[in-house]
Amino acid sequence: MTTQSLTIDAHEPGTPPGDLAIWFFIFAELLAFGIFFGSYAFARAHNVELFNQSQLMLNRASGAVNALVLITSSYFVVRAVAAIKQGLSRQCANWLGAAIALGGVFIVIKLFEFHAKFSAGISLSTNTFYMFYLSLTIFHFMHVILGMVILAFVMAKARSGGYSIEHHTGVETGASYWHMVDLVWIILFPLVYVIR
Amino acid sequence: MSQAFTKSMARNIFFGGATFFFLLLVALSFDTMQVLPKRDHRENITDAVARGKNVWEKNDCIGCHTLLGEGAYYAPELGNVYKRRGGEFVKAWIKSRPAEGTPGNRRQMPQFNLTDQELDDMVAFLKWTGEINTNNWPPNIEG
Amino acid sequence: MQYKSQAVAKPYFIAAIGLFVGQILFGLIMGLQYVVGDFLFPAIPFNVARMVHTNLLIVWLLFGFMGAAYYMIPEESESELFSPKLALAMFWIFLVAGALTIVGYLTVPYAALAKMTFNDLWPTMGREFLEQPLITKLGIVVVALAFLFNISLTILKGRKTSISLVLLLGLWGLAVFFLFSFYNPSNLVLDKYFWWWTVHLWVEGVWELILGSLLAFVLIKVTGVDREIIEKWLYMIIAMTLITGIIGTGHHYYWIGTPEYWQWFGSVFSALEPIPFFMMTVFAFNMVNRRRREHPNKAATLWALGTGVMSFLGAGVWGFLHTLAPVNFYTHGTQITAAHGHMAFYGAYVMVVLTIISYAMPMLRGRAANSGKAQVMEMWAFWIMTVSIVFITLFLTAAGILQVWLQRVSTTPLGFMAAQDQVALFYWLREITGVLFLVGLVTYVASFFVGGETKEAA
Repeated sequence: MTTQSLTIDAHEPGTPPGDLAIWFFIFAELLAFGIFFGSYAFARAHNVELFNQSQLMLNRASGAVNALVLITSSYFVVRAVAAIKQGLSRQCANWLGAAIALGGVFIVIKLFEFHAKFSAGISLSTNTFYMFYLSLTIFHFMHVILGMVILAFVMAKARSGGYSIEHHTGVETGASYWHMVDLVWIILFPLVYVIR
Repeated sequence: MSQAFTKSMARNIFFGGATFFFLLLVALSFDTMQVLPKRDHRENITDAVARGKNVWEKNDCIGCHTLLGEGAYYAPELGNVYKRRGGEFVKAWIKSRPAEGTPGNRRQMPQFNLTDQELDDMVAFLKWTGEINTNNWPPNIEG
Repeated sequence: MQYKSQAVAKPYFIAAIGLFVGQILFGLIMGLQYVVGDFLFPAIPFNVARMVHTNLLIVWLLFGFMGAAYYMIPEESESELFSPKLALAMFWIFLVAGALTIVGYLTVPYAALAKMTFNDLWPTMGREFLEQPLITKLGIVVVALAFLFNISLTILKGRKTSISLVLLLGLWGLAVFFLFSFYNPSNLVLDKYFWWWTVHLWVEGVWELILGSLLAFVLIKVTGVDREIIEKWLYMIIAMTLITGIIGTGHHYYWIGTPEYWQWFGSVFSALEPIPFFMMTVFAFNMVNRRRREHPNKAATLWALGTGVMSFLGAGVWGFLHTLAPVNFYTHGTQITAAHGHMAFYGAYVMVVLTIISYAMPMLRGRAANSGKAQVMEMWAFWIMTVSIVFITLFLTAAGILQVWLQRVSTTPLGFMAAQDQVALFYWLREITGVLFLVGLVTYVASFFVGGETKEAA
């Protein structure tokens, strides 16, 4: 929160892309996730047996597919930013649309996974592992939805020609948030589903 | 290039973030409401327990004591007093407080002039409270 | 003062300060009762003194918030208040209702008061901080609605700024979450669960919006920094407040019968709660350093900076101290909580109300700032009260640590009263510091009566 960061142009080297405000949000979110991940490790160390056993019950395939889905959607978002940097509003909106669609795929796969768990009677209070599994994945799930909402707003504005080569901070802002959502899953998936 | 930190973006994050986390609180509260019956044993809330809570409130017991750690810190925790002292002691204690206070500069508990019925209800309430699953709080019987 | 109707803020501020004095007097009575147990017994038992102490605090802060809104909103909206008469009427209704309630606490046994006010029809009394009889609670709702109506319509007919929007949101939130105080089921766990929706979502939620907007308003006025800059930081800070604070509610759900997962949610999010307070401190200092004008009211600037620092210490640091579940397991319901409560309330809410009073009161009395002499006295009051509260907090923390050790950690735990006897020294020190606080407060009140040369308000 230096004086400079308030006035510096976004394209000067050393400043993050997009609006600085989103980076405060991203910072807070990553902190929350980070502490949650740390807590997971801490709780696991005290109960390795239970964690390993419960972990086997998770659907690793759907988790892995979802990782691919999100990484691909992140790539689409990168393409959207690249497009608007050349002033191609229409392409930008299309890429964003594709990213949102993949977000939708993620949501659907996740819903199947949750449905299977809930119908097996698993809840936040089943055991510590499932508490973490459900908290982390649902918390992340809500972020995917929020990210899709943000991208949808950006897409709508792009479609109506609201961004240009000179003015496209909004696209970078939405993209930054979406990459955060992707990044969290890339850590969450191996941590909770795979690492034993 | 437009400004890198705009008020409208800060505002969006405020509204978005607040809504998002309020929804999360509602979702977690919803889950809590599903789980609570197993932890608070509400099937044991008899009329006596409910009346006892009313007696507890009408005499502002929370103004000196804590109940499950919440309240004033002037007098002992009562969430586990039923286990610590037993129902008869609690009744005898409340009944025997002198109206003008005990001699010496000890902390004073008022004489509340409770009826026998009210005393029984109070004990029923404290007994039920002691059976709530509090994740093993307090650390020991002293509260 | 730019708008005539801002004048209605004056009685609100005067009442706030008056009730503040009452709050401190009852605090001193309680403090003494901690070590001289039969002091004023049976005339004023501890629970009555405490009820008066905490209720006066809440009521005078509400007076402060309302006064602040009546002062700020016309200036922000560039429009006279919708109805100054309604504001004045509500002032008297609130003051009389508040006074009657306090008189009720002090003259009738609480159980008799409950009976007189038909508590059995709809029991809401006897819960911490919400001890008011039903009729007082309804009165609060009526006053709040009339107040919100007045403020909202003023904003609607005038300029809409971020500061007034945030203030309005905070005040509406205050009214909405107060409604949970009417919900009192016979299931204690449910009662406690939603009791916190009033208490926590007030002080660690919507009140912080009010705090932020008051602080932002005063900073704009005394520093002359661009409104755009101040307002975007305001949004950022309160965004962080709610992002961390809403789920932070979980730190109250560790041991009251609620599921275990709250220990994780509560710990993770409330561990982040110091961030917005830290941002606020940096923000306040930054804005003052970048000031574009030298405002003659130095005292107001000092209060504004003090709010930043002390709310960070009291709410941020002292809150973090015992917010993690494994720590809280031992400290829950001890003097540690009391220590945090005192510094957080003083640092955040008392100081922000005194900030706006310090800025607005001279204007309301027709001058840009008080005389140098009066300001020096006010700043003395600032330091005496602030240093006192720091030491009150430190002594209570010491008492708390000892209490936890003797009563909960030791292999041969002492009973509650035996442990209390062991820490009596710290209660004496706290009481002495409390008297010093009163000296500061008297100095503060006296500063209003110091004359000297002043400049006319612009």
